Amino acid sequence: MHLRRLWLTDYRGYENLDVTLPDGLTAVLGDNGEGKTNLVEALGWLSTLTSFRGAPNEALIRLGAESAVVRAEIDVDGRDVLLEAELPRQGRLRVQVNRQKLQRTRELLGVLRVSVFSPDDLDLIKGGPGERRRFLDETIVARHRKYDQVRTDVDKILKQRNALLKGSGGRMSDDVRYTLDVWDAKLSAAGEELVRVRLETLDLLVPELTTAYDQLARRPAEVTATYVAPWRDVGLAEALAASRKDDLRRGVTTVGPHRDDLALAIGGLPSRTHASQGEQRSLALSLRLGAHRLLAAESGVAPLLVLDDVFSELDVERSDALLAHLPPGQALLTSAIGLPPRADPDLVLRIHEHHLRADTAAAELDLRDAETMSDPDQVLPQPVDNPVDGERTAP
Amino acid sequence: MSGVYAGPVQDLIDELGRLPGVGPKSAQRIAFHLLKVEPADAARLAAAIIEVKERVAFCERCFNIAERGAECSICTDSRRETSMVCVVEEPRDIVAVERTQEFRGRYHVLQGAISPIDGIGPEQLKVRELLVRIEAEGIDEVILATNPNIEGEATATYLARLLSPLGISVTKIASGLPVGGDLEYADELTLGRALEGRRAVGE
Repeated sequence: MHLRRLWLTDYRGYENLDVTLPDGLTAVLGDNGEGKTNLVEALGWLSTLTSFRGAPNEALIRLGAESAVVRAEIDVDGRDVLLEAELPRQGRLRVQVNRQKLQRTRELLGVLRVSVFSPDDLDLIKGGPGERRRFLDETIVARHRKYDQVRTDVDKILKQRNALLKGSGGRMSDDVRYTLDVWDAKLSAAGEELVRVRLETLDLLVPELTTAYDQLARRPAEVTATYVAPWRDVGLAEALAASRKDDLRRGVTTVGPHRDDLALAIGGLPSRTHASQGEQRSLALSLRLGAHRLLAAESGVAPLLVLDDVFSELDVERSDALLAHLPPGQALLTSAIGLPPRADPDLVLRIHEHHLRADTAAAELDLRDAETMSDPDQVLPQPVDNPVDGERTAP
Repeated sequence: MSGVYAGPVQDLIDELGRLPGVGPKSAQRIAFHLLKVEPADAARLAAAIIEVKERVAFCERCFNIAERGAECSICTDSRRETSMVCVVEEPRDIVAVERTQEFRGRYHVLQGAISPIDGIGPEQLKVRELLVRIEAEGIDEVILATNPNIEGEATATYLARLLSPLGISVTKIASGLPVGGDLEYADELTLGRALEGRRAVGE
């Protein structure tokens, strides 16, 4: 799969964007606040129909515009596919594939496949279990969109069960008991299925995660990712029955797949509390790269790999290691601090106030380039600080 | 929504906007249409709404729509089998099942599905009434035809558990592929369900 061309209309800061991407590596350079992450977000959004930044859909529409449009031309096994998604401020999202309107927007999931890494992914290590569950669930939906239903079923059943618990006022009437029986049966069936798929995915992910981490860190370390679900010893049905009194008193479901965690460790030590900043960043990136490798291996087609502001996260050795081991396929990376010397992108795009301009002078960045540009409006003030030290130089 | 139109016009727009499937723009369009039509036409619409609220209520037996204080046309049809009942969520679901002309029994309308989020439990549905009917009418077969979503499925499971000790036949309608369609166009969920519910073929 290869993304040939992307159009944005009234998406966030972009009034109009039309960009053609090469097969290999594209670097998008520009200061912070110029629209790099918005571009990355648009790519992810067209793939999953949700913002990886967790922004509500309305936030994606440019201020003052009635609707945002994201269009992409992709090449799937030599076949041209045109994806179009129109997000109106009022009314429903419309998605089209090759000008054919999709009956269910869910059918768009996975047509364009994108793996996104962003600096926020450090939360996968430092944040709560919810971040890690979300990562796992995103990965399973990317493996097959049918799993989206399993995940939403669990969510819906949980909401109903919690509403029942809350509405009962803590009293176990016959009515509450019989209705709880029903929701427990539904939750244990859907929950066991979700966790079965999570575990299956994790089994496939761990070797890829290890490979990705070793390549980045260059000092092989034993990376483990263990699914933590205390209820699995007895099964969800029994665990729900056992926690029923407690659940009723507290008005929430205290056990189940929505409380599970993914325990990450390096060399046997929990990475949240024991790993260094560098290790944590490498591990977060390795999770994304691992999932990317898994999706590429399983489907035989690499998703588009998007790395947002990745060099600000890594020291020079790790940046070089990342570039040396970029997985095959199409990739796009953004940087506010220029590119490491090792980088050899096929296309460099400079971004300024949500306008893109192709840079023919490859990756070398300096002010002289900017001064010789004809259109002063499109001149990009580029940071010239040595990018090699890996520090964020932008304000 | 605070409107820009004064008094009665805004009242009308607000009322129309409360109807299902009518957004603010449609409400405004309908309201302006009504302003333009002949008074007699508008009065007919108003009278029809008043009449339906005065005369139509729910069937005393099955909770389908019926003339006030009476049973519905299906319950009073003597050709209908009385030992078989099809349980649905809403009166409009009866219309769907009737279109098949496959079912010759009577119906029972629950008037909703179990949904704690909306404050609807078995108590709020016509479940007790169904139990009374099974006893009183000698019903020996119940077909559950709730919607194939989380709430509908939960309601079906609840009823199946409630009814199974009674020693009557309780079945649920199958979910699967639309007839006359192509397999390649089926969404994976429906097809997955159809695979789950596969049946042996042949004699």
